[in-house]
Amino acid sequence: MTSESTLFSNRWLPVLLVAPFMLLIVLFFYVPIFQAFYWSFFLEQPFGGGSMFVGLDNFARVLSDREFWQAGWRTIVFMVTASSLAVLIPLILAVAADRRIRLSLPARNVLVWPKGVAGASIGVVFAFVFNPFVGILAPLNKAFPGIWAPGIDGTDAFITLIAAHVWGGIPFNFVILLAGLQSIPRTMHQAAAMDGAGPWRRIFDVQLPLIMPQLFLTLVLEFTESVTSAFALIDTITHGGPGGATTLLVYKIYKDGFSGYDLSGASTQTAILMVFVILLTAAQFVFLGRRINYER
Amino acid sequence: MIENARSLNIVASLILLVGMVYILGPLYLTLATATQSYEFLLRNGLAWYPGDQFFNNVARIFTETRIPIQMFNSLAVAFSLAIATCILSFLSAYAIVYFRIRWAGVAFALILATIMLPVDIRVITTYQVASNVFSPVNALLDVSGLNGLIAGIFGAPVQLELSVLNTHFGLIAPLAAHGTGTFLFRQFFRTLPGDLFKAARMDGAGPIRFMVDILLPLSRTSFAALFVLTFLSGWTQYLWPLVASSTPDMQTAVVGLARLLPDSEGEVPDFPMIMAGAVIVSLVPLLMIALLQRYLVQGLVLSEK
Repeated sequence: MTSESTLFSNRWLPVLLVAPFMLLIVLFFYVPIFQAFYWSFFLEQPFGGGSMFVGLDNFARVLSDREFWQAGWRTIVFMVTASSLAVLIPLILAVAADRRIRLSLPARNVLVWPKGVAGASIGVVFAFVFNPFVGILAPLNKAFPGIWAPGIDGTDAFITLIAAHVWGGIPFNFVILLAGLQSIPRTMHQAAAMDGAGPWRRIFDVQLPLIMPQLFLTLVLEFTESVTSAFALIDTITHGGPGGATTLLVYKIYKDGFSGYDLSGASTQTAILMVFVILLTAAQFVFLGRRINYER
Repeated sequence: MIENARSLNIVASLILLVGMVYILGPLYLTLATATQSYEFLLRNGLAWYPGDQFFNNVARIFTETRIPIQMFNSLAVAFSLAIATCILSFLSAYAIVYFRIRWAGVAFALILATIMLPVDIRVITTYQVASNVFSPVNALLDVSGLNGLIAGIFGAPVQLELSVLNTHFGLIAPLAAHGTGTFLFRQFFRTLPGDLFKAARMDGAGPIRFMVDILLPLSRTSFAALFVLTFLSGWTQYLWPLVASSTPDMQTAVVGLARLLPDSEGEVPDFPMIMAGAVIVSLVPLLMIALLQRYLVQGLVLSEK
């Protein structure tokens, strides 16, 4: 590590080096975030019709809207189910791949492929694969009419979304968790085995505790990811339907802002969603992060 | 392995097999359907085996849709995004790690915070900023009272306007405002031995020389990893390119592909052609993964530490 006394002491060069990136971040990250909060206190007319300070009226309007609470609740349901599955399944796969069997190598190769398939492309593919008339479950529908109807049944549409989300989430979580598992020294396994711990016992008492940092990281990232990345899937597979059953907050904000021209409402919901994401991340760091031992 | 547990290995193999089928199944069905005709789909449903209509479907994608020009847009966006991210991240991480500046911690925190709130969350107001990138300047002039002064002297207040919507720059810039790269380079710089820096200084290397001749060659793998990572993320973006482009000729291929799906329920869409589109659109990133997988995995692991 470089110590304090051995750093360059130029004054303006570092400013020059950081300035372009900072400008970009301020303009396209901090200004939009500030504006979302700012607009949530104003009634904004679309197409620059001027604005009016309305205090907390926007919040009162949004918070008394039943659709907002429904979308929020669905966001939480999706976040909890989809992201825990998107961590659990790669975890099982990583534990299996860590056994260094013949299939480990091809599996490690294949399981990162979804990284190259865009969320919207996955959506297009899953919209087809789970299509009730020509998709993979169409034969089932012929035998039991109406058993699989994502166009009518909200639960079926939700399941399709989750299956697509987990598919796309496998590469990152698998790679991170496998890297964690592989950095556990073999001697640990051997020592545990000598003490009489069987393979199952070793998974729960050696492997899982030692990859807690990786598990924590994938879970934190997956939570934010599931709140935001669901948009591409919803817009291609369900369009928020049937009957709003898959309208998560990101999709509702987009609809309100770009189709309904309700800029104030959309900004207010954006502000609420951002606070929610920030609080969630902070809470995870406080409650989970503290209990994790990063030392090996 | 420690004990010779055959049964466990069989279970593990089965798990991996199921995982691979889960990943490859949809991809195979996509490919198989892309080789069938629309009539076949209507008659038989899902295609379990390939047919002979692949080139026909691909030809229709090339003649009946805007996907070819949108592929060019995707390529331009993903490539410039990756290059811009590499350069900006390298420079800012270099300044933060190797200079004695008091604001290094603050700058790093400001950059790192961008990871928490992706563009999909702040899309409404990012769109407004992109529709006039000078709006913050205008607001500052208004709030500070300078505009009143200017209006008094010159007769009219300053209202600058420049929209970057529907331009390649506008497609890229909000995506480039992301801190993962800076984080990645900072972590890498901190693993380098401090003696490297001392030796370079002793030999009389200044900041620019040290950066170009020592740091740059050492960072080659980090560059490759970050490049692959951001290229893929640029190619696969959906919401931002969707709102930032107003004409089909400016949309990216992923957006164009999603537009092929009809909005209304009812008739069965022309899935063979759409699946052929999905194959074409996913070909570039999948090829990249196949060829540069080492760097991708490295990038994923590095961005975590």
